[in-house]
Amino acid sequence: MVMEEGSTAVGKRKRNMGKKKVKKPKNKKLKMLEGKGKKLRVSKKMRNLFEKRARQYNSDDDEEEREEGEEALGDTRIGRGGDNSSEESDGSEEVEIQPGVMKFTDGVRAFRLAFKNIIKRNVADDSLGPVLSGHKQLVAKKLAEEEAERKVKGEAKKEKHLVAEKGHVKPANYLGSHEKFLIGIATKGVVKLFNAVNKAQKAEKGLDPSRSKDAKGFIAFCYTIPFILLSFWQALLEIVGDLLKLSGNTSSDPRNEEEPAWAPLRDNYMLTNPKLKNWDKTAEAGIADDAGRMSGDSGSDD
Amino acid sequence: MARFHNSKTKVFVKPIVKKQQQQQQQPNVDHITGNKIPKSFVFSRGKLPGPLRQLQMDLRKLMLPYTALKLKEKKRNNLKDFLNVAGPMGVTHFLILSKTETSPVLRVAKTPQGPTLTFKIHEYSLAVDIAQSQLRPRCPQDLFKNPPLIVLSGFAAADEQLRLTTMMFKNIFPDIDINTVKLSSCQRIVLLNYNKDTKLIDFRHYSIRLQPVGVSRRIRKFVQNHQVPDLRNLQDVSDFITKAGYGSESEADEEAATVTLTSDLSRVNRASTKSAVKLQEIGPRMTLQLTKIEGGLCSGEVMFSEYGNGGNKKKPGNEEGNEKEDCEDSDDDDEADNEEDMEESEED
Repeated sequence: MVMEEGSTAVGKRKRNMGKKKVKKPKNKKLKMLEGKGKKLRVSKKMRNLFEKRARQYNSDDDEEEREEGEEALGDTRIGRGGDNSSEESDGSEEVEIQPGVMKFTDGVRAFRLAFKNIIKRNVADDSLGPVLSGHKQLVAKKLAEEEAERKVKGEAKKEKHLVAEKGHVKPANYLGSHEKFLIGIATKGVVKLFNAVNKAQKAEKGLDPSRSKDAKGFIAFCYTIPFILLSFWQALLEIVGDLLKLSGNTSSDPRNEEEPAWAPLRDNYMLTNPKLKNWDKTAEAGIADDAGRMSGDSGSDD
Repeated sequence: MARFHNSKTKVFVKPIVKKQQQQQQQPNVDHITGNKIPKSFVFSRGKLPGPLRQLQMDLRKLMLPYTALKLKEKKRNNLKDFLNVAGPMGVTHFLILSKTETSPVLRVAKTPQGPTLTFKIHEYSLAVDIAQSQLRPRCPQDLFKNPPLIVLSGFAAADEQLRLTTMMFKNIFPDIDINTVKLSSCQRIVLLNYNKDTKLIDFRHYSIRLQPVGVSRRIRKFVQNHQVPDLRNLQDVSDFITKAGYGSESEADEEAATVTLTSDLSRVNRASTKSAVKLQEIGPRMTLQLTKIEGGLCSGEVMFSEYGNGGNKKKPGNEEGNEKEDCEDSDDDDEADNEEDMEESEED
């Protein structure tokens, strides 16, 4: 158990050296001291002392340890103040032998003197002392001063803002009579201009035929001319064919005849397509059907 | 010290040169009419407070598209810097905002040789304020893609300063050729109304909207918005067409405010239909007072002064003095030319 405790505080040179049985409070003290006196070298005397103590600890059991330790250190102690009730202090004092570390009693006296000095000191009333409650007036005065300062600053800022905003007017949500009047003037101006533009551009349009709607219609008509001609040509061919049939001069094989090279000029143009065959008939039939369904007398249509 | 200044300004001019390359896409001359397109710079002299800086931005938007919307200016830039850049970029007008203790000041100047009109801004409202005051502010996307029309009214008086003002503002926007202009490009209008009694000029900026006339409001909305109308309260579909609408149907379209279109303007405003002209303010709004006319660019002979004759009255504000120094040397020698130039512009 002891060894375990020692192992938890690895690196504590003094303890490893001493291999003491250490209780927790003692441990604390040692640590503290170590932190305090790191710069100090462990003197030969100290080492001897520690070794001695270690021997004693190892030989004895826990209860006796402290007393013996105290006894052993007895000669080294210089005036234990009697005020140190705890046993931990012995650990500290044992180290306080080192040079440069103030003895506890000296420290107490110095502290006492310093404290007495502070207590004795007479603090002047008018300045802001440590006791604020005694200086209510002063505090109030200071606060008031601050307030005034802030007020002045705010006013200056306001003034600056006013200067910046000079002339800046937020418009009303409704249209005032003056605004309406202005809008009226502007509207009049716009209407005048638009009418003038329309007048000018209308005249232009009248001169330029390509822009008018009639012209557009004419162009569209022009585009249809080839198709009209084509259908006309086809109709002509049909009639001629019929006439030929009627006269009995039907040729045995129409394919032997000279057919035009251009497909649309052939008799069977577009008729080879099964979909387009009888296109007119199916449509008529459909209409007839509808008519028949709607009214009984569809015979006149046929 | 002066040398130091110059070297600094050179550093700054660089971005402007870049901008110039951008703007070279914009033609200097109208390709249809052959007229020179006026271009403008809107900038400030001296430090402006927040609202005025906003006003400057609004003015830039108003002057679109032939202006530098993102013109960067530094404290150390003097008028000469702007003038130097204006030449190669074909900038013809300067709108200079500055501030004095009494009020903000707007100067409208023709480059490079003046004249300069100085206006005191009595009141102004920003475009933001106006949008806030409206129930439905309107801003179509291509609103600022075309220059505004300008309407000057009340300037009929024979005073020379008024004639000069008229000329200045007429020339600040591109001319409109009524034979070729597309009505769909007329989206905005700037109105300057001179009040004889108060000698104040009302400066307004409106957007133009055309609405078909003779159609009930419901059908108009239906056609415009493409939204399914609410037919809950109707007995029949025909009611939707025949029943009169509510509310604003009463604001009868005055005959005076209707135009007959010859060409299709938009999907709703077709050719040979009647359309009502509706204006909605977009701001900024200013009330100006002409205080001074100078022969040169912010310098030169004072041709008119509201406060007594001659240039004895100096405006408060130190930036005035600075500018005088800036352009004194450039303008002193060709004052005589200024007079001729001005006469020419008035003849136009």
